[in-house]
Amino acid sequence: RGSSCIRIECIFFSEFHPTLGPKITYQVPEEYISRELFDTVQVYIITKPELQNKLITVTAMGKKLIGCPVCIEHKKYSRNALLFNLGLVCDARTKTCALEPIVKKLSGYLTTLELESGFISNEESKQKLLPIMSTLLEELNATGACTLPIDESNTINLKLIEQRRDPLIVQEYDVPVFTQCKDHFIKSQWDLTTQQILAYIDGFRHIQKISAEADVELNLVRIAVQNLLYYGVVTLVSIFQYSNVYCTTPTVQSLIDDRSIQEECLNYVTKKGQKRACLRDVFQLYCGLTPGTTVRDLCSRYSQQLQRVDERRLIQYGLMKALIRRLQKYPVKVTRDERSRPPRLYTGCHSYDEICCKTGMSYKELDERLENDPNIIVCWK
Amino acid sequence: MATKQWETTLGERKSMYKQSENSFFKRGEKTSPISVILVTSGSRGNKLLFRYPFQRVADCTSSLTTKQRSPYALNTTGDVLEDPDGDSREQTPLTDQQLVAGFSDIILATILATKSDMCGKKFELKIDNVRFVGHPTLLQHPHTIQVSKTDPSPKREMPTMILFSVVFALRANADPSVISCMHNLSRRIAIALQHEERRCQYLTREAKLMLAVQDEVTNMTETDGSPQSPFRQILPKCKLARDLKEAYDSLCTTGVVRLHINNWLEVSFCLPHKIHRVGGNHVPPEALERSLKAIRPYHALLLLDSEKALLAQLPLDCSPALVRLIKTCSAVKNLQQLAQDADLNLLQIFQIAAHLVYWGKAIIVYPLCENNVYMLSPHANISLYSPLAEAFGQQFPGHDLPSMLAKFSLPLSLSEFRNPLDASVQEAQLIQMVVWMLQRRLLIQLHTYVCLLVPPSEEEPGLLRDEELPLVARVGGRSLSTPSALSFGSPTSSDDMTLTSPSMDNSSAELLPGGDSPLNRRMTETLLASLTEHERQVILNIPAAQSPEDLRMFARLLHYFRGHHHLEEIMYNENMRRSQLKTLFDKFRSVLVVTNHEDPVISLFQSPLE
Repeated sequence: RGSSCIRIECIFFSEFHPTLGPKITYQVPEEYISRELFDTVQVYIITKPELQNKLITVTAMGKKLIGCPVCIEHKKYSRNALLFNLGLVCDARTKTCALEPIVKKLSGYLTTLELESGFISNEESKQKLLPIMSTLLEELNATGACTLPIDESNTINLKLIEQRRDPLIVQEYDVPVFTQCKDHFIKSQWDLTTQQILAYIDGFRHIQKISAEADVELNLVRIAVQNLLYYGVVTLVSIFQYSNVYCTTPTVQSLIDDRSIQEECLNYVTKKGQKRACLRDVFQLYCGLTPGTTVRDLCSRYSQQLQRVDERRLIQYGLMKALIRRLQKYPVKVTRDERSRPPRLYTGCHSYDEICCKTGMSYKELDERLENDPNIIVCWK
Repeated sequence: MATKQWETTLGERKSMYKQSENSFFKRGEKTSPISVILVTSGSRGNKLLFRYPFQRVADCTSSLTTKQRSPYALNTTGDVLEDPDGDSREQTPLTDQQLVAGFSDIILATILATKSDMCGKKFELKIDNVRFVGHPTLLQHPHTIQVSKTDPSPKREMPTMILFSVVFALRANADPSVISCMHNLSRRIAIALQHEERRCQYLTREAKLMLAVQDEVTNMTETDGSPQSPFRQILPKCKLARDLKEAYDSLCTTGVVRLHINNWLEVSFCLPHKIHRVGGNHVPPEALERSLKAIRPYHALLLLDSEKALLAQLPLDCSPALVRLIKTCSAVKNLQQLAQDADLNLLQIFQIAAHLVYWGKAIIVYPLCENNVYMLSPHANISLYSPLAEAFGQQFPGHDLPSMLAKFSLPLSLSEFRNPLDASVQEAQLIQMVVWMLQRRLLIQLHTYVCLLVPPSEEEPGLLRDEELPLVARVGGRSLSTPSALSFGSPTSSDDMTLTSPSMDNSSAELLPGGDSPLNRRMTETLLASLTEHERQVILNIPAAQSPEDLRMFARLLHYFRGHHHLEEIMYNENMRRSQLKTLFDKFRSVLVVTNHEDPVISLFQSPLE
């Protein structure tokens, strides 16, 4: 992986000089931080005790400075304390969250070095900082990672890690499907649980089923899949059944507008061994999905278009790309005897998928049960 | 009478939000501030004048003895566990209160009262999990101060306050657009305060009061030993403190702030993130603005409050155009009609409508009519126990919401929904129900979209040759857009004032109606010229194409068949009846694919509030 889009413009080492006060001792490239800029922000770099060891990011004069002020107290230092801060400078518009762990780690390294061997307080060894900072700047910008031995016992290991959004909670009735070809992934890179369930992720098995067949505890499967979701390796769709109902979303037009989606779709949905399906057929199929129409209905109405198309993969692709959405059934118990208990599952909050998963009933069983109950109405959404 | 009403509403509002407030504080609501802080810098040095929420009393005692570490202060190594990666992401479940309570007044004064060269610009500082944002403002020009310094006259007094800043503390992971909005509010308050300071030294006076109370409380505590929060004592004495508290409270709840600085200058502000939400997430303001720019004259404005309630919320000096619009608008009237009825030009209507939508007072819909088809929104809360169900039962006794919503499980047109055999009173109520459900984003409207897709030729049917690329990829379509000067607060240009009538925008108006003249045939040929040979052949072989009139109509509407223009839009632009269009689609169905879905332009407005 190459470096992310963060560009570090400068690395600086600042300290509190016993007579000159706060100053920048080293910076690469030289003269990057102006006298003016440092004057404005020095209160955030060499700080009062209350702010020490905190990650501080300040924006000023079009630049963002990220640092972590360190204070080591000891009688041997003039003024009984050593204050310093190794920080990074970026353009003010950069998103710098990913740099924070690096700054924190660097402050930790330097603190350790000072405590172990007086690396910073010793004028001679302090000079080694400059080439270290140069290398850091170069390598972090180039590859997003840096490994630097400092002395016999200390090595700096740094890596820029992209921060992603928190993933959704994975439910037992969700179906994970790979976003890319399964073979692209090196199994051994993943943890044991994930390795065990990988084979069962086929875009049709739901979490509960995977748990049962792979013989892995349900919550472990949920967490493993959530992890895969976090890295964008899988996405979630709903359980497939021929009785399912879907409808198109405005995004279905992207099949017409976007050449790459067309290509990808036609390749994905064509039956194995057949000539590639044509756009018109596939688009007609998606548009044939309407409220009230089951997949079974679609198959009988559009049998000609389905000659070269695998309907299960058609639905799968449509859901993955949000070209279509599933209409779920929600039972609601609208009237009941005063003596009977209030509904627990038939409240409009739980779909058929969820109820069947939780109770072990099949759709058909649930349908039969509810159809005979005059107090229950069903909403689709 | 009026005050009583106000108090009741306020009381209701507060109790309604109290529960959510508690949960907000616990889970760290990303769109709410954690604290509001007022700092100044001047001849007395840097001072923290006011902060809200107050620290708990126990915290106060520790902050007075600054040498001791407050047990509630963020421990340097404590809050970030011994994590070698030094990940600054939230490790411990600290509540928002604890996050900022850990900063003493003195340190906040030091870091938030910036140097004067940071004034007049956005101030942003992030410390571990807290982000501070403000707009430090100079009260005196730097050169004025310099002049005073060099002036040897002993009588001249130094100005006591040089700069000030209203700072909001947020969670570090707040969305950039939220941070930007908070900065905006800080700036607006600063402008008002700067103005009042120049006019009557308002800020200096309030500052004096605040510092006096702080000194008083410090003295009292030292003599009594009983800890008090000085800021709690400041509230009843200082209007500015009350204003800041109100701003904070409003931001945390409704997202709508209205202050009267010094009972004189109004500062109003809304946080769109609180008002516009989809599912559990806020709608980014940019998405909102994009949608607003795509509104068409055939859309309608649906108010979310009653006319009376809305008018009551307007300030006394609001624009008469706004009042007229509110009084004239209706869910069955499109914006063009509204312009005529309210005697305003279309651009004004668009701007006011956008304003009302931005503030969460109205949404954009397609005007209500018989043929509108509605369906249950995927985001609708259909729970038996939802507050919506209760409200519906109160508004429409004898009916329950889930049963009504179940009717819209399948797409239903308004005419189908109403039973023509019922008395007209019932009918009116059914329409009211639909309006009620639309206001609460329970329903979405479906429109018909058409796409031209010709069956592929016999040779090499599997490949997608360039020729097979549908029309849209080859022909750059014209988009009939609304006046472009629809931005918030920008001056209108005279170019944008005239909206050409839709038919003039379209070359089809030049076609003569009826008659198979050579001119018409030539026109049709030109329009079909953008198709491939194969497409043209297929179309011309359709039986309906033998009728020159049908073919001409088809050719004229060709550019709509890309799946981006719904039936109603075509009807509006081309001044055609629904039946005409439907018949045409039917005749040419072998090359057209039809589908129904919501209008993406206004679907943003059909998304629910939290």
